[in-house]
Amino acid sequence: MSDENAAADAATYAALRRTWSAVDPVPVGLIDRMVAAVAVEDLSREYELLTLVEGEVVAVRSETDTMTLQFSSGLVNVLIHVTAEDDGFSRVDGWIEGTALAVRLLQDESVLDAGAAENGRFALTAVPHGLSRLRIVIRDDSGDLREFETPRFEV
Amino acid sequence: MRACDGSASGEKSADITGNQKFSDEMYQAVSIALLPGVDTMGAMTDSAGAAPADEAADAAPSRWEHAADLFVRWRAGESRAMDELVRLMTPVLWHVVRAYGLDQALAEDVVQTTWMTLVQRHESILEPRAVSGWLTICARREAWRVSKLHRRADATETDSLESHLEPGESAEESAATDDESRRLWAAVSTLNERCKRLLRVVAFEERPDYARIAQDLMMPIGSIGPTRQRCLGKLRTTLLADGWEETRS
Repeated sequence: MSDENAAADAATYAALRRTWSAVDPVPVGLIDRMVAAVAVEDLSREYELLTLVEGEVVAVRSETDTMTLQFSSGLVNVLIHVTAEDDGFSRVDGWIEGTALAVRLLQDESVLDAGAAENGRFALTAVPHGLSRLRIVIRDDSGDLREFETPRFEV
Repeated sequence: MRACDGSASGEKSADITGNQKFSDEMYQAVSIALLPGVDTMGAMTDSAGAAPADEAADAAPSRWEHAADLFVRWRAGESRAMDELVRLMTPVLWHVVRAYGLDQALAEDVVQTTWMTLVQRHESILEPRAVSGWLTICARREAWRVSKLHRRADATETDSLESHLEPGESAEESAATDDESRRLWAAVSTLNERCKRLLRVVAFEERPDYARIAQDLMMPIGSIGPTRQRCLGKLRTTLLADGWEETRS
């Protein structure tokens, strides 16, 4: 192929890229969602540790047991409420101050994805009993993504 | 996830031999469909001509080099380099995946699966400098797998779902307000689905892997260069008839 042809092809491909980018643009927020999804998956990443500011960790094992914990870093506040489900599982309801792009609960044996809690709320059902921690990616006021992790708590 | 098994550079032509007869038939069908107006393009099989010029035209260092650098830095322990890699390559993956006709939600799932697979299996990537190729191949395989599943499902579902999944032409046309994009889009719209997919994948991928594209499109490897040229030729013919100037960019 001559250089002239190659250059013409390159120009056409560049024009095609512009056209497809205009006709079928990358959805708003997709890139941030992907950054957040990768961040919670990346075990090598260092997370800012949230501290337990209110509540007491107890084992929730019967329908009458509940546990409410509040974690904070100063920048972000997370409230979780744990209730017992049937058959040895628990339910975790959460409220996050700010825009969460990814929420994940990690245990020794399993990982539960709560997806993006963009309205600040998330719920995980059928959570096996065991030591757990939450990983949360939020977008701060300046638009940057920040990752946080709670201390371990018993579900 | 299975769609991303194996390494990026391990493609073998033997992969498509099982479908050779079928591929030939498909190729003939494509050739016949594209014959009018493409004789002048000939059967050039140069698969390396356009890409380097394209890279040079964009920016230095090229995108794949930038991606490779970020991936190497992430592997060395710089966790934020992954954020940059995701920002750099997600738009490319989006366009590659959407070329397979997936609706937005499925396309987003495939892009996310691709990134999850990279994080989980990065140790199996023997050539870190090839990470951008690894990503686009992984995305194409997964998109192809998901599109086959959903085509099968669609066949038994109502037509209304199909119209819901496909973006409306009027919406797309209204998005293409720019004159160049509008005219180019009108020309692209005259191409068959196979040509549209091929041109979109090639346009957004650097260093396209012709063996893999050939398998995905069920065409013999040897035909991918000429087929690409025929698709491009048909597009040019339509554009020239519309008064398009070849040199504009």
